[in-house]
This record gives sequence, structure tokens and C-alpha cells, in this order.
Amino acid sequence: MTAEIIEGTVSESRALAVSEITMVPHERGHGGVAILLTVAAIVAAAIGFRAAMVSGSASDSWQSALRTEVKRSAAAMEDVRYLYQSELPVAIQIVEARILQAQLLDAAQGVSGATKQTLLLEASVQAQMITALSPSSDLAAKTDYALPSGGLDLGKRLADLRAQHPELLALDPDGLQASGDKLAHKAEVMTLALLPASVAAFLGVLAQAFKRRRILFLWLGALALAGGVAMALAVEVLA
Amino acid sequence: MIAPDSAAELRAERRFDVVLAILIGVIAVLAAILAFAQIDAGQAATRADLDAARLASDLSARISVSEQATDSGLGAQQTALMLDAQALAREIAGLQNGDDAAMAVGKAQQSAYEALQAALTATSDTTGGKPVDAYTAGLLNATTRQLQTELTEQNRQVDLANAASSHEQLAVLGLSFLALAGVLTGLAAVLRESRGGRISLSAACAMAASAALLAILAFI
Repeated sequence: MTAEIIEGTVSESRALAVSEITMVPHERGHGGVAILLTVAAIVAAAIGFRAAMVSGSASDSWQSALRTEVKRSAAAMEDVRYLYQSELPVAIQIVEARILQAQLLDAAQGVSGATKQTLLLEASVQAQMITALSPSSDLAAKTDYALPSGGLDLGKRLADLRAQHPELLALDPDGLQASGDKLAHKAEVMTLALLPASVAAFLGVLAQAFKRRRILFLWLGALALAGGVAMALAVEVLA
Repeated sequence: MIAPDSAAELRAERRFDVVLAILIGVIAVLAAILAFAQIDAGQAATRADLDAARLASDLSARISVSEQATDSGLGAQQTALMLDAQALAREIAGLQNGDDAAMAVGKAQQSAYEALQAALTATSDTTGGKPVDAYTAGLLNATTRQLQTELTEQNRQVDLANAASSHEQLAVLGLSFLALAGVLTGLAAVLRESRGGRISLSAACAMAASAALLAILAFI
């Protein structure tokens, strides 16, 4: 009997509790919580998407800097190889022949007979060598590259070779790298704007849990969200 | 009026809801922190990795180009020395054979050697000089000390890339834990204040705590 009474009381109490809960009118600010959480989620997604895009652009710039570096070095190496391995050995032979020819002709001035003939013959051999080799060597043939000592201006020749492809000379991997660095910084600062948005979400769920301070949490959440949006916009425009 | 036992149940439900709400908020904040850590570390790893590759390419070019210039200078000196050796050989042969013509040619070659050496030295001195662009001049005039400094920097960038990559992995692991925490929180919200709900909530808290620890590690 007692048990039945107790059980009856418990059932009534529960029913009463449930009725109290269900009869509570639409809670104040409930819709605000939903709106705050939704907007915070959308803002966070937008900021994350934009930050990922900017970060991807930074990565592209860095990749491009590497490719440009390889291209630039390959172009320079080819010009240097052409000058030092293809042109210079022939040019040195021509320079040697010119100097030797001049010395042999000088020596032939002060002698006579067979010695003179030998010296002149040797000089003519050098002259023939110069004639044979000169057409194949711009470096030795063009007077622009001649030094007063009889040597050759390799700096000037290399500059002329490099100037034949100005687009390769204008390659600037450092500029691309700096551009990537700038974009990476922008992406990082933009990602920081996720923090206020997440704090807004945090305050939104607190507003749901702590009904008495719901309005306060909602205002703070809205403030944090506005801060996040402002930060993201500022980074987008200024950075 | 609510009976005491029902009121206790309601209080427990309320506590459960509060913990659930706080956990969701913490997960949101941790997600933002870990996303920042992941992007920061990921970018640092990518940059250092590519910078190391750039430096390796530059080192390769500097070694190759500066060696060509050095080899060329040495080759030119060898050419002059060969002429000198020829001159001496001719003079000696002329002296031994009483051949005046050979001696005269040898003397002329000797004079030519000195002029050639001066000319080739002047030629080598123009290597990397004006008006060559600064980049190419830097390749041609690279010294061993410069190459060693660049190599040290290249190694440093590789180490940086490895360290940043580890941090990125920690951040990604943290995000994975956080996703798990989110799922468990959702499960707890469905199961409510039952045994299963409490276990889910506890596990979600543990996952979120692990994610927080990983977030800290990702920044250190």
C-alpha cells in the first residue's frame, strides 16, 4: 500500500515536472542563439575558405620562385658554358696566334737569310691559323671585346650573350618569393580572425546553457563575431 | 511543485547540458586555434622546403659556373706555359744543333709567351666584371667560403622544414581528435543523461583535452 502511494507520488511529481518544463513559454533569446551560432559558423567557414585560398596562392608563388630559380640558373649556366667552353678555347688560340705572329714578324725585322725566311714562314703559319679560326669566333673577331693588352673582355662578351635573351635576364625568383611571403602572412593573419568567430560560437552555446545571462552572452558573442568579421575584412583590404 | 528526486534529476540534466554546451564551445575555439597552427606550420614547412630546394639549385649553379671560370683561367695559364715550354725546347734544340733559325723562333716564342701570359691574365681578370649582371657575376665569382655559408643556410632550411612539418602533423592530429570529440559530443547529446551519454561525454572531454595538448605542442 505504502509502495503504491510512493510510486503514485513519484509519477505525479515527474508528470508535474515534465508539465513545468513543457509549459515553459518560448524562451527569450532562443532564436538569437540559433542565429548567432549559424552566423558564426558561416563566418568561420568563409574566413577559413579565404585563408586557405590565400595560403594556396602563397604556396604557388613559392613554387613559382623555385621554378624561376632553376630556369634562371640554367640560362646563366648555358651562357657561361657557351662562352668558357665553346668560344674561349678557340679565341685563346687566335690570341696566341696573333701574339706569336707579331713577335715572329718583329724578330724577322732584325735578321736575314734562312733565319728570316724561317721566322716569316712561322709567322705565315700563325696568320693562316688566325684566318681559319677567326670566322668561328665572335669573341676574338669583334674589336669590341679586345683589351689593350691583347686579351679579351669576357665580362662584356658574357653581358652581350646574356642580353640576347632579356626575358631570361629579367627573371626574378626573389620577387616571387617575397610575394609568397606576403600572401602567407595575409593567410596567417586572416586565420587569426577565426578566433573571434569561434569565441562567438563559444558564447552562443554558453548563452544556450546559462539562460539567466543569455542576453549578455548573446551580445558578447555578437561583438566577438563583429570583431572577427572586421578583422577578416581589414586583412583582406589592407594586407 | 517538483518532487525532490525529480528536481535532482533535472539538476543533473542541467549539469549535463552545461557540460555539453561548454564542450561544444571549447571544440569551436580549439578548432580555430588548431586551424591557425596547421596553416602556420604548413606554410612554414612549405616555404622552408622550397627555399632549401632553391638554395640547392643555386649552390649547384654557383659550383658549376665558378668552376668553369676557374678551370678556364687555369687552362689559359697552361696554354701560355706550353708556349714557354715550346720556346725553351726550340732554343735548346737550336743551341745543340747550331740552328740559328730555331733559336730565333724560340726567342720569338719566349717573347710571345710573356705577352700571351699578360693578355690571358687580363682576360681572366674580366671574368664576372662589368657589365655582367649581378646574378651571373655572383655565380662566376663565388668563393668557397660563400658556398659553405650557403650550404649551412640550406641545411638550416631543411631542418626548419622538418620541424615545421612535425608541428603541422601535430596540428592535423589535434584536428582529427577534435573531430572525434565533436562526434562523441553529438552522440552524448543524443543519448542524453544515460550511462552511454555520460561515457560519450567523458570520452569527448578526453579527446578535446588531447587536442588542446596537441595544439600546445604544435606551437612549441
